[in-house]
Amino acid sequence: MNFYDTIFYFFAFVTLVSAAIVVFSKNIIYSAFSLLFTFFGVAGIYVLLNADFIAVAQLLIYVGGILVLLLFGVMLTNKVVSVEMKTGTLQTIPASIIVAMTAGALCGVFYMTDWKIVRSVPQMTTTANSLGEMFMTTYLLPFEVASVVLLVALVGAAMIARRDRAIQNLKPKI
Amino acid sequence: MLEQIVHSVKLLQPETALAVTFCVLLVLDLVVRRKSNLAAWLALLGLVVTAFFVLQQASSGQNSIFFNMLAVDSFSVFFKFVILASSFLIILFSLQSDELNSGTRRLGEYYSLIIALTLGMFLMTGASNLLMMYLSIELTSISSYILAGYTKEAEDSSEASLKYVIYGAVSSGMMLYGISMLYGLTGAVDIYGINRALTEGDINLMALMIASILMVAGFGYKISAVPFHFWTPDVYEGAPITITAFLSVASKAAGFAMMMRFFKVSFLDPTVGNLAMGAWASFQGFEWNQLLAAISVLTMTLGNLVAIWQNNLKRLLAYSSIAHAGYMLMGVVVLSNEGLAAVLIYFVVYLFMNLGAFYTVMIVANKTGSEDIEAYKGLGYRTPLIGVAMTIFLLSLTGIPPTAGFVGKLYLFAALINGKWFWLVVIGALNSVVSLYYYVRILRNMFLKTPERSAEPIQFSFAHVTILLVLLIPTILLGVYFGPLVEYAQASLVMFGIQ
Repeated sequence: MNFYDTIFYFFAFVTLVSAAIVVFSKNIIYSAFSLLFTFFGVAGIYVLLNADFIAVAQLLIYVGGILVLLLFGVMLTNKVVSVEMKTGTLQTIPASIIVAMTAGALCGVFYMTDWKIVRSVPQMTTTANSLGEMFMTTYLLPFEVASVVLLVALVGAAMIARRDRAIQNLKPKI
Repeated sequence: MLEQIVHSVKLLQPETALAVTFCVLLVLDLVVRRKSNLAAWLALLGLVVTAFFVLQQASSGQNSIFFNMLAVDSFSVFFKFVILASSFLIILFSLQSDELNSGTRRLGEYYSLIIALTLGMFLMTGASNLLMMYLSIELTSISSYILAGYTKEAEDSSEASLKYVIYGAVSSGMMLYGISMLYGLTGAVDIYGINRALTEGDINLMALMIASILMVAGFGYKISAVPFHFWTPDVYEGAPITITAFLSVASKAAGFAMMMRFFKVSFLDPTVGNLAMGAWASFQGFEWNQLLAAISVLTMTLGNLVAIWQNNLKRLLAYSSIAHAGYMLMGVVVLSNEGLAAVLIYFVVYLFMNLGAFYTVMIVANKTGSEDIEAYKGLGYRTPLIGVAMTIFLLSLTGIPPTAGFVGKLYLFAALINGKWFWLVVIGALNSVVSLYYYVRILRNMFLKTPERSAEPIQFSFAHVTILLVLLIPTILLGVYFGPLVEYAQASLVMFGIQ
């Protein structure tokens, strides 16, 4: 195991452990804070993959923006700190059998397959330039479609969050 | 590079028209304060303009645009017509739905999201790059999550939306994993590149199989195939009925179009067999159609058997739509042009009969406020027109001649027999018999039970009758005069990249 691998396993470990805490913690504040380490670990893996721009964007947008908003949201909401979240587990035995089988199959496949690996990795350069160029040429359509996807998500979020005076007057249909 | 983009933009006119309509509707909703149906009419106008552009595309031959991101070919044009027709009808349904128009609910966003959903499905029919496939699935899914929960005051609508989101997130996560495995195996993200890599050989078939199972999770979720169907009954029951009808037809059509393109273009061996003659061959040792055959059998059997126990009509039709997805999957399993044509024919037929059944349920629910089978007691005497229309739609869904459903099933089974899939034919036929039971249960309630005293005839207007006839006439007509449809479907099998 060389130096590069060690760093990769470190970041992968940080990501996985903190992601597990996000899911399993009963306290929403703990979950929100360990999400910080998940994002951080993923950013580290991006750096290892020579994707400097994405790593920076990950830090700026997810850690700097989204997570802070999330934390504010959690803290400003009344009583949410003390709320016990329901994290029950059902059907443990069948679930663990299926998970074990899937994990076994995936691990087996990963060891047996010879993946297409690019051996000659180019010298690390800044990727922002070529990313921008590709967004405007080869990946123009996905880039534009992604913006529509985001717009739709935004409309949906507004729709769900909006308090509709008109609708409150309606009796709920049972 | 620039020429290709300019050329591509010209061939993207239908999608552009939809995107423009979407934005106009959003802005309009901000400007116009009072409640009106203006948004619906504008959405219809946008769809008409889009239809005009799609018609132009029909004669533009086979193209691949935006550097192999999207294919514009006869195959995608066919499905675009199916999707357009259903969005058009759904907007008309929405104008008459009491569930949506109650109170002072504003519907500007509703119509704009329907247009966004249509845009997503258009992109799904043509997507020929894994990245584009994922994005278009997401666009379709996110719009449908919101629409499924649009009647916020109803608890089951919110529940439907939430369940839809959770299942959607899981299946799109699985699909992304499959995409990453495919990329790791072949080093390509466009389906033509994947096919090239597979032709060159030397790929671990076990890994390829697992990758395609994971991809099927994404497709199967869209077409609600077992075991990715768990969301279907709850979402179909909770969502506004117009959206249920839309999801059951258009969303399924888009999912099928994408799945068929993915499997046919990337997983068929171009060196063996003669694709132009309709004889396909999968790569040696990689029998993906066996996987689809198993899913197909599970899907139709489970859909039909569970439908028997349902008393809520929306839920019953949800399970019946799962079963129909199973029937249509049989057409893909055969690995021939004949099977594919049968799926295309089935979709046109399914469009009319399924939307018809949902429309009838909507009219009855408008009046009685109930989707329960009990509400249909004696409907055939209270309101003969609705009763007879529902009968024809249900018989067509079962596949009894002389309705259109029979023609759809006939071509499917014929393709299976020619492809020597006899055991699948037997299972499909047995399933049709089972389905007869629960469809006839509704008929029995409508005609053989006396209506309760308090039950009044259902009032409907001229507009209701018009829409009902628009759905009813093709359902009967396509059962007796189906030549042009069959010819058009057979001519629409050409996909870009396959000679």
